[in-house]
Amino acid sequence: MAERPMLEAEGLTKRYEDGVLALDHISFAVQKGEVYAMLGGNGAGKTTAINLFLNFIEPTEGEARIDGIVTHRDPLKAKEKVAFVSENVMLYPNFTAMQNLDYFTRLSGRPAPPGSAYREALSRVGLQAEAHGKKLKGFSKGMRQKCGIAIAIMKNAPAILLDEPTSGLDPQAGFEFIGLLKSLRDEGKAILMSTHDIFRAKEVADVVGIMNRGRLVMQRPSRDLAGLDMEKLYMQHIAGHGGLAA
Amino acid sequence: MLKLVIEKELRDILTSTKFTVSFGACAALILLAFFMGAAGYKADVARYDAARRENLKQMEGLTDWIMVRNNRIFLPPRPLASLVAGVSNDIGRTTEVHGRGELPQDDTRYGEEPVFAMFRFLDLEFIFQTVLSLFAILFAYDAISGEKERGTMRLSFANPLPRHTFLAGKLIGSFIALAVPLLVPILIGCAALSLLGVPLSADEWARLALIVAAGILYFGAFLTIGIAVSAMTARSSNAFLALLVFWIFAVLILPRSAILIAGRAIDVPSVDDINAKKFRYSEQLFTEDRLKMSGFTPAKTADMRKMVEEFQMFMGQIADERQKKMDEFSTRLNEERANRQAVQSAAALGIARVSPSASFSLAAATLAGTSVSMKDRYLEAAQGYQQTFGKFILDKTGMNPGGGMVFRMRTGDAEKPKPIDTHELPAFVFTPPVLADVLPPALTDLALLVLYIMVFFAVAHAAFRRYDLR
Repeated sequence: MAERPMLEAEGLTKRYEDGVLALDHISFAVQKGEVYAMLGGNGAGKTTAINLFLNFIEPTEGEARIDGIVTHRDPLKAKEKVAFVSENVMLYPNFTAMQNLDYFTRLSGRPAPPGSAYREALSRVGLQAEAHGKKLKGFSKGMRQKCGIAIAIMKNAPAILLDEPTSGLDPQAGFEFIGLLKSLRDEGKAILMSTHDIFRAKEVADVVGIMNRGRLVMQRPSRDLAGLDMEKLYMQHIAGHGGLAA
Repeated sequence: MLKLVIEKELRDILTSTKFTVSFGACAALILLAFFMGAAGYKADVARYDAARRENLKQMEGLTDWIMVRNNRIFLPPRPLASLVAGVSNDIGRTTEVHGRGELPQDDTRYGEEPVFAMFRFLDLEFIFQTVLSLFAILFAYDAISGEKERGTMRLSFANPLPRHTFLAGKLIGSFIALAVPLLVPILIGCAALSLLGVPLSADEWARLALIVAAGILYFGAFLTIGIAVSAMTARSSNAFLALLVFWIFAVLILPRSAILIAGRAIDVPSVDDINAKKFRYSEQLFTEDRLKMSGFTPAKTADMRKMVEEFQMFMGQIADERQKKMDEFSTRLNEERANRQAVQSAAALGIARVSPSASFSLAAATLAGTSVSMKDRYLEAAQGYQQTFGKFILDKTGMNPGGGMVFRMRTGDAEKPKPIDTHELPAFVFTPPVLADVLPPALTDLALLVLYIMVFFAVAHAAFRRYDLR
């Protein structure tokens, strides 16, 4: 019997009040220990899909499920099982990295762990020890991004949603981030990542999906993409060529 | 989870530079209000004592009580009136008592120091009504929209956090973080009152505590409406603008408009109209009395003393009759005006209470004993004293005071009369309202402030349920 996907979209559709069809009947699944990279340009619908998983908006049709829980029917229960890192992690600037981590960890419903657990998480994401007790107001985007990932690690949720997580990171930070992502996958996390970065997607993802104008126009395991020119493939699908393949 | 959001809010506010700066300014103003109140009270007491001494001094040397023509009574200063001025600076503090007739109230604080009428006094009511309501807005306008703009809202709601918990945590956390520190300068101010020698009875302390409680409720109402407006807007700059407009309407426009609207709706004759009617009636009575005077013929023309006494009695009688008629006429006119004014006031206050600012002002002034009823209370006490004084003069002289002419004849061999003992003069006692008197009317406004908080929270809740968290 096939294992239930940790993250699943089924006919997921979102039409806004102004009539714009942001997401048009997309379906995909992310298993435990799998990274799903959702590629697409601006306005393709990647962030809308993530917002539907987080129940920030309700679907017009279809369902987003986290561990079988329909997010718009039982959002609080669904959110217990998912961590989220946005494109530009914004935390409380008057709090230290440790205080931010403590707040968001406890907000996730977990009891407060010892301070050493926070330090371990921050060190794991590559934040230098001397920055742990500093207020966030002086942090660079990369440092804040690391704090955001540490928060996701501390939540220890089985699913992780990443919205353009490497956007704006320098190459070193991007490289470290990919390494971290791989280790989280190895721990069994189901990871859905939206990104513009074709090459990092190919490097880390188990499944790559390409979105264009709210539709999932291509979906393939990354092993099938070996040897293919990803950029060309991406451009073909964005331009309307190539068919949907599972 | 509610506790966690409250803790976060407390820490977020208390560690911000915005809090340090604005709280410092508010604390300084609160302390200033207490110190100025204490200084003002002591100056009022000194002035009151000097005026009373001067009143008795000008009677010294008089040899007959009938010669006492300008006995004055004074509204005693009250410590709470220095902290919440209400109408105390607008009403006359000195009244000349003749034993009968009208009781003019002269010597208002603003009349004495008109520059204060321009800018008013810096009292606790002003601090709460104007400064602290702005302080509340300053922290509430971005409570929700600011979290969205800063991007922390998405991360917060990626967790199993119910919206109502977040909203309640925001409100409670902000309220504790802002209201509790405000109690520190208030408590220091209270301690300073004792140290500066301002005597407050237990009853007055209780009323001051209730004034502060009303202020905190008012602050809570503005904090809640601030959060509600913040939950209705996506951008905190829009929320700030909307709240500023609300503040201007609630604090500056609505209470004043209410008086104008009520004034238009319910016509009350002016004091000048009333005085003109009284003057005309008085002239009419004098004309009638002049006819009586011209017809006066003494019965015993041989004895000069008896003739003067007869004339004096005749003049006293017509003066008494004239005054009686005048009093009846004045009472009727005053009552008519007072009744219409009461209806107008009730309408004005009813409309004004739509604003939390008016509810707070009314609650604070009522609790301090400086509401609009203060004037009536003082006038009532003055009228009571006038009767006592009139009876005293009648007992001492055998004549009603204040009317007619008085002749005293002395022959050279008579014993030199002794001066009057001014200590015999009945003392004017003004009984200020106590807690039991002011609490029932103040409860209406306190309840209204609680209602405003509940309504604004319901609005905030309804708005935040539909709030776009993205």
